[in-house]
Amino acid sequence: MNSLATQLCPCGSGLRTVRCCGLNPAALPPADSTRHLVPLIERAMQAHRQGANDTAERLCLDVLEMAPDRPGALSVLYQIRRAQGNMPAAEALLRRVVGFDPNNFPATNELALMLMGKGNLAEAEIHARNAVRIAPQNAQAHNLMGMIMTEAQRPRIGEYHYRQVLELTGQRDPILLANLAWNLKNQGRMEEARALYEESYAAAPDIKQTLLGWARMEEADRQFAAAAEKLDKMDALWPNDPGATMSRAVLLGREKKNDEALAVLDAVAAQNPEGKLGPNELLDKGRMLDQMGRYDEAFADFTEGKRLARELSGNQYLDEHAANLIDRLRSFFISGRLATLPRAGVRTDVAQPIFVLGFPRSGTTLVEQTLTAHPAIAAGDELPLINDITGLMPRMLNSPMGYPEALAELWMGDQRNGLDNLRDWYLQKVEQMGILSEGKVWFTDKMPLNETHLGLIALLFPQSPLIHVVRHPLDIMVSAISNHFTHGFFCSNALETAAQHYLRVMELVQHYRTEMALRYMPIRYEEMVDDQEATVRAMLDFVGEPFDPRCLAFHENRRYARTASYAQVTEKLYDRSRFRYRHYREHLEPAIAILRPAIERLGYTVD
Amino acid sequence: MEPIPPPSGTIDATVPVPIAELFALAADCERAGKLQQADSLLNHMLTAMPTQPDSLHLAGIVAFRLGRIEEALESMQRAIQFGVDTPLYLRNICEVYRTLGRLEEALDTASRAVALSPNDPLCLHNLAIIHYERLELDESIACAERALAMNDQLAGAHFELAEALLLQGKWDRGWEEYEWRFRIASAAPMMPATNKPQWQGEPFDDETLLLVGDQGFGDVIQFSRYIPWVAERCPKIAVACAVEVAPLLTQIHPGLHLFQKWEDAPPYRAFAALSGLPRLHGTRIDNTPASIPYLRADPNKIAAWKNRLDRLTPRGFKRVGIVWAGRPTHNNDRRRSATLATFGPLFNLPRVSLVSLQKGPSADQTGSYFGRAPLINVGAEIQDYDDTMAIIENLDVVVTVDTSVGHLAAALGRPAWLLLATAPDWRWLLERSDSPWYPTVRLFRQTAHRQWSDVMQRVAAALLERFAPPTTIDAAAEAPPAKRSRRAKAAI
Repeated sequence: MNSLATQLCPCGSGLRTVRCCGLNPAALPPADSTRHLVPLIERAMQAHRQGANDTAERLCLDVLEMAPDRPGALSVLYQIRRAQGNMPAAEALLRRVVGFDPNNFPATNELALMLMGKGNLAEAEIHARNAVRIAPQNAQAHNLMGMIMTEAQRPRIGEYHYRQVLELTGQRDPILLANLAWNLKNQGRMEEARALYEESYAAAPDIKQTLLGWARMEEADRQFAAAAEKLDKMDALWPNDPGATMSRAVLLGREKKNDEALAVLDAVAAQNPEGKLGPNELLDKGRMLDQMGRYDEAFADFTEGKRLARELSGNQYLDEHAANLIDRLRSFFISGRLATLPRAGVRTDVAQPIFVLGFPRSGTTLVEQTLTAHPAIAAGDELPLINDITGLMPRMLNSPMGYPEALAELWMGDQRNGLDNLRDWYLQKVEQMGILSEGKVWFTDKMPLNETHLGLIALLFPQSPLIHVVRHPLDIMVSAISNHFTHGFFCSNALETAAQHYLRVMELVQHYRTEMALRYMPIRYEEMVDDQEATVRAMLDFVGEPFDPRCLAFHENRRYARTASYAQVTEKLYDRSRFRYRHYREHLEPAIAILRPAIERLGYTVD
Repeated sequence: MEPIPPPSGTIDATVPVPIAELFALAADCERAGKLQQADSLLNHMLTAMPTQPDSLHLAGIVAFRLGRIEEALESMQRAIQFGVDTPLYLRNICEVYRTLGRLEEALDTASRAVALSPNDPLCLHNLAIIHYERLELDESIACAERALAMNDQLAGAHFELAEALLLQGKWDRGWEEYEWRFRIASAAPMMPATNKPQWQGEPFDDETLLLVGDQGFGDVIQFSRYIPWVAERCPKIAVACAVEVAPLLTQIHPGLHLFQKWEDAPPYRAFAALSGLPRLHGTRIDNTPASIPYLRADPNKIAAWKNRLDRLTPRGFKRVGIVWAGRPTHNNDRRRSATLATFGPLFNLPRVSLVSLQKGPSADQTGSYFGRAPLINVGAEIQDYDDTMAIIENLDVVVTVDTSVGHLAAALGRPAWLLLATAPDWRWLLERSDSPWYPTVRLFRQTAHRQWSDVMQRVAAALLERFAPPTTIDAAAEAPPAKRSRRAKAAI
């Protein structure tokens, strides 16, 4: 019994490991030699259709034991496992279906959706693109691309595919319209989004996601009454819906009705079987308690929220991975080597990036909003492109090594302009994203922690301003523990790892600045709050653009930032966030021990 | 004698080696430069006898030579505490105080050493050094002369006398005393022993004259101006010089035979140090040769660096080159070098880019800069003096402590603002804010020992003034370089 059990694949498919996740494709029998199994597969399909799942399962296991690459049997078994809620097995089987039958559109569609549901957008994108390749005239293929690109914060590409769906179907499906509206909301095109929500709602007034998305759009657009009205409608149709309830709490929080918001959250907790909130709700609640000055309770919620998030997602700080990358960057980017490497040329025919660098929650959104209120500067938001380039580099430079060692190819005669190609790839993507418009000579890229790649950025864009937003590290820690973000190798899943990653990255930046001549300017978040005009003038001087008073009224910049900071940035500059770590002084002790050198070097104190 | 194995863990106080023998061993090690060994021996002894004055004193010397100055002071203070006023201890501790910049205590202990041991010329020599550093030059000269009256072969005292005389502008007598620098026992020899004579300025054209690019790169840049004058007397010249400065010398006089290793030296008839040429030339303040520029940057490099700097610095910003530290092995580096942080008053200058030309270990301070004015660390990209010169040509002004970069900018005829210690190197003379050596140099002097803050504030104010939009009055005063006397008071 036991020996048999150990042979079974840990994914839970019911197959033996050697027939499942440990399959060696080279050892498979020729497809033709297992053709006599086809009747069995047909019987399995029939049994499955008739609801005889036990029979179907047994037939599939029998077939796959002999012919583990039979897509029909894999598909049926996949459906059975998924219906059983056995997601690891379902995913493994579905991946194998797609692997053995790359032109299987339904399976590809299903896999892309499954990966998107897990938040694995990078892989979901690969399969969605395959879906379009398999079936370029299939509306669902474009719908996949629309959803995934929207989620991956490339809404302009997503919009294109959603509009393809409209064209291909010739219909205005209400759900599609709502999805497109959400996409436009992410682009800050609130009026267009509102019109689509209205149309979608008129056609189908009973779709939960439509109303919820609409409510959130109105909230983001600061139309609090309109948002509340949508939530009221939801309450009438689906009382106690968790999504609606959370949106209600967030809305009340934004209206500064913290007591009411807390009451809503307590009600949510009471509804849960265990009487507890989930990780996101806990952080929401902690932030409300923080606003109310109940700091110890707030910190307890933050800590518990992070603990739950770790437990549920299984994501811990990828310590070794981060240490390894940073060590390699540090040894690669040294002045002696840099002297021998080319720099990309500077394009003058297209807008150029301004990099707004900083740890998540250090004020990069504020700086970006300020800069992009200027008529010459477009808002690029968090562009994933530098990170993409680090992944693409080995292929684009034809290197057997990874990033950053692949840059050694620049020494080859046929790769001397390799950096120009990478630069053009970046600029082309920016153009496709629709960030640029008439009159813009700059655009911002405020992907947090891009400072990890400061060396690469300076090679690609030697003329681009690098604006590094610096803030009291302990304030960043308070912010990191009270919000979720996945940047930085999941470091924010615990206070200590956030501190550790912060220190690593700051030391890496120090290294880059010692080894390279950079067009780099540090901007202190606190100075921005203290003397906004002087800081804005200094930044624009540094960029080389004349001062524009609109930058001082950035909170009137109606553009909606997608990141967690949007609610703050649309308020006037607020002083409350400066040195708020003092409320959490004791709780932060473990971080202080780690961050002490960085705090001193930055000229801050702990008091 | 074989070294005894280094002690491990706690020491058995009953170790059966006579203490006098151990001490002699430690002293031998110290004299032979085996400092780590001396250090562990003395540690061993002091664990057993923590108040033994001679061991404490020797431990202080060893720590001093190992660069552990604070520890050296503590050991020597304890030596004095437990060994009364031994003149030798006082004579040495005063040098520790001086190194730490504690000049009051240095003066006090040196004076007590002289009082206790009035016939020891070395005590007087140390006192002369302290007076020099306190800018009490007459007292320094008097002490050096008293030491020399006791022993006229004391090279160190001659050298101290030379520096004080030169700093006072008494160059005739100063040059003669300055010649003693080659005989200081602790100084590394300038060249391998030779039986060839030192050149006395006599002309000859059949044989080679050997010049030695001695001392630091700044000295080479400054004194290489004499090479054309030498060539009028001896056309065949070979120069022993470091590879870094070779291109500069070739620029100054194309026909030179330059070499870097002594085995490559050609046969020669006589030799001279570059730093000895002012004496042979008979240089006085009123006849200092200064045909500036005598160095020029390569036009192609200037254009390349212009392009690079245009990309790195914001448009329309003034560019101020900065250097805050010299070579750490320089004798007076503690005195002459600053830190990037001391340039604080420059960090908030409007529409100014700081351009760091800093090389060496201090360059890593750029990574910790968080001031408002952009700081561009081109030091990281500088390969050689050709780069430095081309960059300087693209700067509005260079602000530097007393390093070779200042000489380079000045020899290019570019504005070079030098930040000087209270007792500066003799070549910058006293009080004046200009220099007979370089017309584009402007000197900013410390008014208090090792205090840079007011110096930097004056520099910041002067930069503001220089970069202010021209008014009619300023325009009239534009032609000659501003020559104001910010007279420094000696710190007495």
